[in-house]
Amino acid sequence: MKIKLVILIITSIIGLSSALSAENLRMAYSTAPRSIDPFPYGGASTAGYKEHVFEALVAADDSPLLSTGWVWNSPTSLTVNLRKGIKFHNGADFTARDVVYSACRMMYRVDGKRNLLTSSMGPISDVVEVDAHSVRFETKNPYPLWIQKMKFLSMLSASGGDVPSGPITYDAEGNCGINSYPTRDDFENGDAAIGTGPFKHVSYSTESAVLVRNDAYWGEKSIWEGVEISSVSNSGARMAGLLAGDYDVIENPTTEDITALSDNSAFAYTGKPAWRTMFVVLNVDPKGAPGVSAPDSSAPLSNLKVRQAMSLAINREAITDRLFGGNATVANQFAPKYRAGAPEMPALEYNPEKAKALLSEAGYKDGFTLSFNTPSDRYPNGVRVAQALTQYWSKIGIKVELNSQPWSVFAKARKAREMGAFFYGWGHPQGPAQMISFAFATRNADLGLGSSNYSNYSSDNFDSAITAWAVETNSDKSNGYVAAAMKAAMADLPGIPVYYTHSIWAHRSDLKVNGRQDERTHATMVSYK
Amino acid sequence: MLSFTLRRLGQSSVLVLIMSVLVFFCMYIVTDPVAVLASDDFTEEDRIALASELGVDRPILVQYFQFTSNILHGDFGTSFVYNKPVLPLILERLPATLEVAILAITIGLCAGVPMGIYSGLNRRKKITKAISFITTIGYSIPNFWQALLLIIVFAVWLRILPASGRGDTTFLFGIGWSFFNLDGLRHMLLPAVNLAIYKICMQTRLARSGTQEVMFQDYITFARAKGLPRQRIIRRHLLRNILIPIVTITGLELGGLIAFSTVTETVFSWPGIGKLLIDSIHHADRPVVVAYLILITLMFVIINFIVDMAYAVLDPRIRHT
Repeated sequence: MKIKLVILIITSIIGLSSALSAENLRMAYSTAPRSIDPFPYGGASTAGYKEHVFEALVAADDSPLLSTGWVWNSPTSLTVNLRKGIKFHNGADFTARDVVYSACRMMYRVDGKRNLLTSSMGPISDVVEVDAHSVRFETKNPYPLWIQKMKFLSMLSASGGDVPSGPITYDAEGNCGINSYPTRDDFENGDAAIGTGPFKHVSYSTESAVLVRNDAYWGEKSIWEGVEISSVSNSGARMAGLLAGDYDVIENPTTEDITALSDNSAFAYTGKPAWRTMFVVLNVDPKGAPGVSAPDSSAPLSNLKVRQAMSLAINREAITDRLFGGNATVANQFAPKYRAGAPEMPALEYNPEKAKALLSEAGYKDGFTLSFNTPSDRYPNGVRVAQALTQYWSKIGIKVELNSQPWSVFAKARKAREMGAFFYGWGHPQGPAQMISFAFATRNADLGLGSSNYSNYSSDNFDSAITAWAVETNSDKSNGYVAAAMKAAMADLPGIPVYYTHSIWAHRSDLKVNGRQDERTHATMVSYK
Repeated sequence: MLSFTLRRLGQSSVLVLIMSVLVFFCMYIVTDPVAVLASDDFTEEDRIALASELGVDRPILVQYFQFTSNILHGDFGTSFVYNKPVLPLILERLPATLEVAILAITIGLCAGVPMGIYSGLNRRKKITKAISFITTIGYSIPNFWQALLLIIVFAVWLRILPASGRGDTTFLFGIGWSFFNLDGLRHMLLPAVNLAIYKICMQTRLARSGTQEVMFQDYITFARAKGLPRQRIIRRHLLRNILIPIVTITGLELGGLIAFSTVTETVFSWPGIGKLLIDSIHHADRPVVVAYLILITLMFVIINFIVDMAYAVLDPRIRHT
């Protein structure tokens, strides 16, 4: 009896202190944000976190955010008009000077290391303060993609560090006459983490970050007084934290977990088609590809019929329905069809009989040997999809050996071009041509094309469309070029699209999540039902 | 004594050297930090520039000698991922790991040794059989599975303890500790118990087999014949004699807990050094991995040294030879 009483008292004390405060939103990310300094790192988790504090001239959906619009003066000159009446968290007005300062900080090498987002600014030759509320970007080559890439340029207040008064003159080294910039530590301990966003920085560590509402926000104010972002990389632990009441919203529950959630009325999940295409990269080099061999020592993947057969062999609907329970969309091209500007393309056929016939027509009646690679720890259900693909290809007579490796090992082999066929995912926050321009174009350093062309694909049809796209500032014409390039790529199949991923959030059932398509998690997505 | 210490030091530095060579070259062969860090829209020029800033474009031998000479100057390098000096990165996470490890070892000793002695003394009692049954189960269920069970029972069903994270910390000597406040302790309890279960089982078995062996020794029989009270026999004659293996194992286990409680730290999202190690391996963050393993090697060397010293205190025979 006594023992029972003691247990009761202890549990009630422990229970009391875990009572939650209603106005704080507690989210668990699946990957840790790397810093609140907005420039050194890319990646959805860092970007999603920093967007609470910092905003850019352009919003995630390519619409104006801290700007009211833009005009191309010429293909190499863009004037952006800034939104008026916006204040930083420190009370300072947001002006063109802050834009130039932010561009300088982006280019500056803090502690001798470049910011990983600097590549977005590569073609920018000058940033000029035209007047207090307009700024002009000059580029070395035509750079229409800058509209999308402006998302990377988070706006900092020009008061950080030691900045002489008066206009700031941009230079590509980021020196800009500025005596000193805030360091990463200055951002992380909060002194420099001053943006225009809906939340203010309170504290940051890789495990957890705390934010508080910006009551002077220029846009719609958040319903959450405070936000806590924890980073829980293990999916089981994330789900346990949600069920235990430690978190209100978690990212990326597993397919099994969301099936189990349907029996639990206290929790729900929300899915949203994301801008990520999952596809197979095929090395089409006529000289042959690593890990691919045929009895007659020819190069099977360089044969279009073989690639068509491999695409025909895949039952995409079975993958999205059975492996994902419907939380994925069948892909019929390389850009997600719901990404603004993506062309209409016909559905891809599933026909193993036809695939077999094509394979023997191509001279591989007895098949060939293929080593197929996939990262083991990067994509939800990625290994299972790769196993399914392996089986589909085995059915039409290809001897496939599946090789699944951790991402750090896989990434090295990919960069060293040691893989003839591999499974990969590519996001499209910068428009529908983002992937194909890097992955399928012949390398063109001036226009920034083809730097990830692991297919060794080179086609005049594709290249003429994509080089025209790369310099076209008119969005209708630009979309036309994307469509032409996409048609060329789908005709030649230097890769095989399989599905588009969905982002999934599991959450308390009294909450509503208005998910984003760029795989980021932001407190403003979450509201009460 | 001095020659013993010096010999130990010599052996340890060779060990650390071999360790650093192995890890450094393995990481170099298997991973490429540029491939992991660079996003897909990097141009070839960006990748080359990144490689040169990280210093990974130079020949591997040059990189290795640079690395060792830096360490001899007290500089363990800079993390590829966090772009921060490695040593503070590891040390700032050490308290979180240390406090859980110490709590787990304490629970293991306090629960395991009495249970083991009891079982050894009362071999035919039902409680002894129950203890034996429970320790067998504790031994055989994998660590991560125990962790999930603990979370399901205490965090999800009973909702009395948090499932993950570290909670509030209280600052002492400029370092945040969870020991000194209720929220921190609540967060610490599940991971510590998770780590302790295996330790309890092991200490129970060690203490039991030691007890069974010692109880039939002549000096125990003699002490009994002398008419000493049972409590005194257990404390003075039995406990002292079974402590040596227990101290050895506790020392090694403490080292193991500090160095490799990666599974527990991952499942409970406990921000300790084990989680740092796993994350760094995933990100091909070679400086962190190499420095971590060198520090861990050093730690084991020191712990072994302390254990040897403890023998001398516990067993006069070792002191005098």
